[in-house]
Amino acid sequence: MTAYVGRRVLQIIPLVFGITIVLFAVIQAAPGGPEGALLETGRFIDPEVIEAYRERLGVDQPVPIQYVRWIGGAMRGDLGISFSTTRPVSEMIIERLPATLELMGASFLLAALLAFALGTLSAVKQYSWFDHLGTGFSFVGIAMPVFWFALILQLVFGVWLQWLPVAGTQTVGATSVTDHVLHLVLPTVVLSLRYVAGWSRYLRSSLLVALRTDYVRTARAKGLSEVAVVCVHAARNALIPVVSVMALNLAGLFSGAVITETIFAWPGIGRMFVQAMFARDYPLLMGILLLGSVMVVFFNLVADIAYGILDPRIRYE
Amino acid sequence: MKGLLPLLAIAVGACSSGSEGGAPRGRSGADDPDRPKILRVAYTREIDVLNALTSQNLVDIQFSMVEGLVTTNENNEYIPVLAKQIPTENNGLIVVNDDGTVTMTWPLQEGVRWHDGEAFTAEDVCFTWRFVSSAGSQVYNRNQYLGIVACETPDEHTVEFTWTSVLGYYAGLFEAILPEHVLGGMSTEEIITYVPYNRGDALVGTGAFRFAEWRSGEYIRVVRNDDYWRGPEYPAIDEIVWSFIPDSNTRLNSLKAGQHHFGQIEPTQVEEMAAVDGYGVHLVSQNSFMHFDLSLNTAHARLLFGERDVRQALFHAIDRPAIADLLMQGTVTVADSPLHPSSPYHNEAAPSVAFDPELANRMLDEAGWRRGSDGIRVLDGERFTFKMLNRAGTADRIAVAQVIQAQLKDVGVEATFETLESAAWTQRWRSGEWEALVSAWFLPADPAITGLYACGGPNNMTGFCDRELDELMVRSDGFLDFDRRKQALDEAQVSLAASARSLPIYYNVVPEVVSTEVGNYRGSGTNFGSFWNLWQWTLGS
Repeated sequence: MTAYVGRRVLQIIPLVFGITIVLFAVIQAAPGGPEGALLETGRFIDPEVIEAYRERLGVDQPVPIQYVRWIGGAMRGDLGISFSTTRPVSEMIIERLPATLELMGASFLLAALLAFALGTLSAVKQYSWFDHLGTGFSFVGIAMPVFWFALILQLVFGVWLQWLPVAGTQTVGATSVTDHVLHLVLPTVVLSLRYVAGWSRYLRSSLLVALRTDYVRTARAKGLSEVAVVCVHAARNALIPVVSVMALNLAGLFSGAVITETIFAWPGIGRMFVQAMFARDYPLLMGILLLGSVMVVFFNLVADIAYGILDPRIRYE
Repeated sequence: MKGLLPLLAIAVGACSSGSEGGAPRGRSGADDPDRPKILRVAYTREIDVLNALTSQNLVDIQFSMVEGLVTTNENNEYIPVLAKQIPTENNGLIVVNDDGTVTMTWPLQEGVRWHDGEAFTAEDVCFTWRFVSSAGSQVYNRNQYLGIVACETPDEHTVEFTWTSVLGYYAGLFEAILPEHVLGGMSTEEIITYVPYNRGDALVGTGAFRFAEWRSGEYIRVVRNDDYWRGPEYPAIDEIVWSFIPDSNTRLNSLKAGQHHFGQIEPTQVEEMAAVDGYGVHLVSQNSFMHFDLSLNTAHARLLFGERDVRQALFHAIDRPAIADLLMQGTVTVADSPLHPSSPYHNEAAPSVAFDPELANRMLDEAGWRRGSDGIRVLDGERFTFKMLNRAGTADRIAVAQVIQAQLKDVGVEATFETLESAAWTQRWRSGEWEALVSAWFLPADPAITGLYACGGPNNMTGFCDRELDELMVRSDGFLDFDRRKQALDEAQVSLAASARSLPIYYNVVPEVVSTEVGNYRGSGTNFGSFWNLWQWTLGS
């Protein structure tokens, strides 16, 4: 097991290196450059200012040179300076990470809780009214556009009922935890919906297969309670595909939720990514994408390790 | 399993219990004399840096803390701020020397202090000039400062500039002054990238508010400057918080929920917001105009748009009143000139292009463009079809482009769309490799339009070049006398319309939602924005 993990960690290094080359090339291939931000306001701009701007940022250099400069800095832990804010990229990411982790973490927890309940009950009570309701809910959840759902919740709970704040993380001047939690409710609900819908479907289908296996029949024959049969015997195997999906989604903990963060004015990584993309802020984009890539690779590894824990038949060699 | 249901119930219960604590706060407390008066603004974006001269965004937040020699008011006029008066030939503060150079004297306000207590002096103005005009300063209108060759300070409260020759736009320069005692001794590059100033910690201005806090991705907060030079009664507001809310629907919902006192919304949201108690919706006409541009840069574009009468025919096919009244729901007014009607340089007599599809058809017929079997006109085997470049995310421009597309089709002209994301659009626009587009310019109060329409002008990407128009525009830039400058600009506006190279469509409006608790708001459509007189604003009855 240790050797396996060590080998996988070593494989990650060239993989991430390759990913940075692809990301850098793709970002640079997108038409337009950071000077576009200068013209966005519609003001007359002195063309010499545009050229001086490009020169100062180094984007007048050939792409390979820009990449070598960037990767050289990244290997020393320096992700560069943001074009638009003139601040270190690593500082900006660290500043925004807590908000994203909090929002994504809360939505993951809520989603895991609901998905486990929905998926298990739907499988155990297959074709019952609850199962049909859960199925309907899942399809609606998967099909519903996030931005629309978010705006509807804002309208109902923020404008009509005035129970919850519409956007932001805290009322200005307020310091209470309650105030902050109230701000967290709507974006968390919106984000968890798609996870609940997806994960509960995976769990339901894999649990249905598991409940028809011989070892479950044996467990029942032993006289175990239904809870023990489902939760201990069936669920453990049924969780393997769900864990794969969840682990990949977990990487999103660090890259944030672009639409939800934008609509709820949540100061996370996802919103910063959108701003960076429109501004062609290459160092900031690369910093965020690098973090996201490393997390995807890392959580894939976590998922592989989790398989072994969930299913002792899986061996690492 | 059963344990999950109580957990769900707790989760739902927790959400419900929020009803008491989550009540809107924006419209409460302003009348309580013991509570600080906090103005809450739903702002459209997070800005880049707080240096008002190097920021690439509109800098209205910065102007609450930083002041310049001048600003613009709600009437599109320059008014002095740190200057006591704006120099003119009439008041004797502009003198043309025998060698052709011009001496311009700016008398400055006395008793002005930076937020850290240092005195504001004429040296700060000269320092600002040296920074802006230095190579690579990144100030968007740096070239307008290059006519100044010397800056002297006869005393602490007088600045004397020597110009090689004065250009008419001088009054709009020095919109922000930098503190020499903070930034002096740094190179241009160091000033641009000086994070403590850019981020606020080292930002000192002379404005009515001081920097307090910038929470990344959330808001910028400024607090009252108790030592403001206009007097202890100003400002009347204790704090201002600009919350960054980029989504227009969220801004609307936030305002409707009473969580902010001020915010900009979309023209299509006006009707909905107008019905909300406690707010007024003000349609602030911007010094910005929507226009339909044609290009002569490609061979195909020259074939289609090379003849003036053909261009004029296309313009006659476009129903601008319908665009203003129906598409934009009557919130905007049709434009016939790039210069806004509130500008004293606006020419009322500039020719207006009437909507007349019959005339358009006749002119196209006479130009030899005959309808083909599919209804699209053809000349020498070439169909009259061209591509319009659209910028993604600009719903208003794309909607206007769609109307133009439909109306041109009625006269046998086919327009197809190519939609590019913002930065890509800008790159293509700058390259000149396009045939037509709908776009908008945001002008300062100064009426100079040379950069936009002159042959090879820095912002003229159309390929059009008209020497006669050039001469009028360049001449107008050189006049300090209002009457002479206006006459030249009047002629330039007529000439521009006659050339049928660009069709002004309407003057943009920005609907601004203002709480009825806010007093002394006077919306302005210039690049200084509506916060130009924040020092006068009040909150509460």
